[in-house]
Amino acid sequence: MINQMNKVWKRLLLLAVLTAAFALPGASWAAEKPDAVKKDLLEKGKKVYFKRCVWCHGVEGGGDGPSADRLFTRPRNFNQGTFKIRATDSGHLPLESDLVQTVKNGLPGSAMPAWGEVLSEDEVVAVVNFVKTLLVDRSFDDADEEVEVQQFGEMPWKTEKGPLKEQNLYLGGPREAIDQGREVFIKNKCFECHGGMGRGDGNPTMKDDWGFPILAADWQQCWNFRGSRRDPYNPGNIVRAISTGLNGTPMPNFREQITVEDRWKIAAFVNSLCPRKKIDKLTNKPINDFLISSMYTKEAVAKKIDDPMWQAPDDDPKLVKRAKDYPGTLNKKHYIGMAGQITRGDRNFKPKVDNLWVSSRWNPDEKAVYYLVEYHNRFLPTTPEFPEGVAIQWPSKLQDLYGAEKPYFIYGDPKKPVDIWKAVLLPKDYNPTAPPKDDGFQLDVHVEELNGAGFDKVEKKKTPPTVEIVDSVFKQGRVKVLFRRSLETANKDTDVQIPSEKFIPVSFMQWSGVNKEKNEHMAISTWYYTILEPTIPDSIYYMPPIMAVTFLVLEGWLVWMTKRTRRMYDEGKVN
Amino acid sequence: MNNNKSLTSVILLLVGCGVFHYLLFPIFTPKEPGWFLNRYVYFLLLVVYIIAYNIILNLKPPMFFKATTVWGVGYYFYDAVLHPHIPWTLRITYMMLWSIGTFLYITQDPVTFKEFRKPIVKTIVGDYRMARIVVFIALPVLVGFATYQSLLPKFEEPVELRTVHPAPPATTKVHGKSYTLEGLQNPFRIDEQDKYKDSFPFLDADKQEYVKYITEGGTIFFQNCHYCHGDQLNGLGMFAHVFNPTPANFVDSGTIAMLRESFLFWRVAKGGPGLPNESTPWSSAMPPWEEHLKTEEIWKVILFEYWYTGWHPRTFDEESSSGSEKKKE
Repeated sequence: MINQMNKVWKRLLLLAVLTAAFALPGASWAAEKPDAVKKDLLEKGKKVYFKRCVWCHGVEGGGDGPSADRLFTRPRNFNQGTFKIRATDSGHLPLESDLVQTVKNGLPGSAMPAWGEVLSEDEVVAVVNFVKTLLVDRSFDDADEEVEVQQFGEMPWKTEKGPLKEQNLYLGGPREAIDQGREVFIKNKCFECHGGMGRGDGNPTMKDDWGFPILAADWQQCWNFRGSRRDPYNPGNIVRAISTGLNGTPMPNFREQITVEDRWKIAAFVNSLCPRKKIDKLTNKPINDFLISSMYTKEAVAKKIDDPMWQAPDDDPKLVKRAKDYPGTLNKKHYIGMAGQITRGDRNFKPKVDNLWVSSRWNPDEKAVYYLVEYHNRFLPTTPEFPEGVAIQWPSKLQDLYGAEKPYFIYGDPKKPVDIWKAVLLPKDYNPTAPPKDDGFQLDVHVEELNGAGFDKVEKKKTPPTVEIVDSVFKQGRVKVLFRRSLETANKDTDVQIPSEKFIPVSFMQWSGVNKEKNEHMAISTWYYTILEPTIPDSIYYMPPIMAVTFLVLEGWLVWMTKRTRRMYDEGKVN
Repeated sequence: MNNNKSLTSVILLLVGCGVFHYLLFPIFTPKEPGWFLNRYVYFLLLVVYIIAYNIILNLKPPMFFKATTVWGVGYYFYDAVLHPHIPWTLRITYMMLWSIGTFLYITQDPVTFKEFRKPIVKTIVGDYRMARIVVFIALPVLVGFATYQSLLPKFEEPVELRTVHPAPPATTKVHGKSYTLEGLQNPFRIDEQDKYKDSFPFLDADKQEYVKYITEGGTIFFQNCHYCHGDQLNGLGMFAHVFNPTPANFVDSGTIAMLRESFLFWRVAKGGPGLPNESTPWSSAMPPWEEHLKTEEIWKVILFEYWYTGWHPRTFDEESSSGSEKKKE
């Protein structure tokens, strides 16, 4: 009898809680018990763990495997039960399904790969349960542990998938939601860490729970979002992060401060910042634009980066049409993937820059070519000892290259030297904690023209300077440098002579001063090609009509012939 | 009556092809094709369907329509069904042959040829007024457009071919010592690796010497190699997207599974710069590991790669040499 009364009470209570949950938007579910460890899976899980995971996460799950010291971000330390990507409240343990999702999809932007295609479902569940036993400070089986699963609601608007079959681009978030999201973003001071434009350039001094340095997410590179679940443009991932916070990091949850509707609006805003690119399914990064075309420019090329001549949306023009009133006239920006130089000499395992965006124009009357190199770096150095730097590398002697031959991509080789245009940058009146300036920071900039014949044989050229930096700026976590050089120079020995309408190998290097990068300790790209596009021939305007008319005449002749033959049939001359 | 039949035929063809392509094709192309659920059975069914409704309903479509259907089905086969997808140059060749075949079918006797020509002639002389207007306007526009396209400057990045596994040299010098690659063995391969499938690196390293070597090799791998070759050894490390050529995938049956350990020793020790020209040494990000690792560390990494992926290295003609000995007997 008492038992039954109890049951009724429990049900009533549950009902009340459920009603409350539905009535108050953003209110959380009632506390539940965390998913207990499935003991029967541990043996299988251990086997997977010690083959696949131990190398980074360590024998006891302390995030101290052999690779740990050479990784940024460091592998997760499981001992404290602190997991970033969850559906549960801040500080709570994750659900088993959260961990399974993380193992399956990996953590983009870090070394944690997606195991979904390598391990079977059973193996993933097993290894997750084994990981749950590696907790030291708390336990999934603890009677006192509670988890509150958060409610995120549904995306309140419809989005378009975009033209790609294999990838949802979530296009067309409503303008009002984006604008209102921006206001919520400002009101809640998200910029204090994520920066004014969301490039993660707000706070240079952040640490995680273990005292290791940590950076705020760069919202304009959503393919590197840890919680993006290999669906980088999905705003749902952002709502989850705002609702639950990221345990172990300075990212709190905002479930009290921001209603669910407003969280979706922030998500719309954040999502609108990320350029739409075709993402490689395997590497989960945008596909490199291996051909950098230099746009034929008849009028004088603008020497200011602000000029519409140097503006183009970051989106791939094939995926997103630019707005009709968009002022920029540049064709497109080319995406260049960057990695640490981990091949020769002093290797760089923790580069700060993941990619560059390059665009180019050339003018035949001026006989000069311009390259605009842009990249995101949250913070720039303040000491001249380790300045910021970005460089374009060319083969010095194109005429000596046979077929696909190129110089060695790290500073060339003795037989095939390289010509390097290096911009050395230091921002003026800047410190990393300074509030953002509307028109950005001007840069103290000079060019080093280098001649490379091997990673340990790099010299400054002694010939007169030929490369100019005509404009440069550092604004809210983004560096822009505009290089200019005449196509031909007097010194034909070590300066590359740039022909038009030819594929020319080119590659890029970048040095982050705050990361103490110098010489071969840098970020580097592989060889790309650039081409100075020719003008569109005048014949394109009169040849098509001429051909069409000629064809029409031919058709008339065919009609006449056919009719004549038919007449001959009718008259019985042929049969 | 006849017109009605032709119309039925056209509708059945269009609707049937639509149903086949959008509903049945996904069903017949599962991830793991079976003996029935595969794309070629699907294509046969499509052909059977087209023949069947024509015979059963006694539609007798006109020759021109038959010919275009045959041609179209052929095009569909090369475009969508045949797998893997063939390059367009090859497809043009195949379609030429297919067109010739279709033409032979049309011209098998003068009557069929005449029947085939009939709608064309009628269009040309203007018996089909609308058709003539449409065709005679559309074709010149197409010609103009093609001219425009051919004059518009377009650039694609040049295609570069490279040899993935070049021929190794006879000898290689690592850390001042010269090695003959023929017959060179991994000094740490002291036992059969399959025995250690269920052993735990680190935990069993004190108990089993082999596992100790695997643990050491794995440690080196995860401090140096995983950035490109990946935590899963599948060539998808965190820096892999940057480099071209892409890092080798050791899980694939085309890399370490078909190579000797001595080949790997040479490749690892000499890296990208040690490649011959046909393998584009200038863009390989593979370090000459002799600059960073000791000789025994290189061997241990190789041992680890085989243990982790489960592949066995190709051996030095044990089979063929033992075979020749048997012949002598």
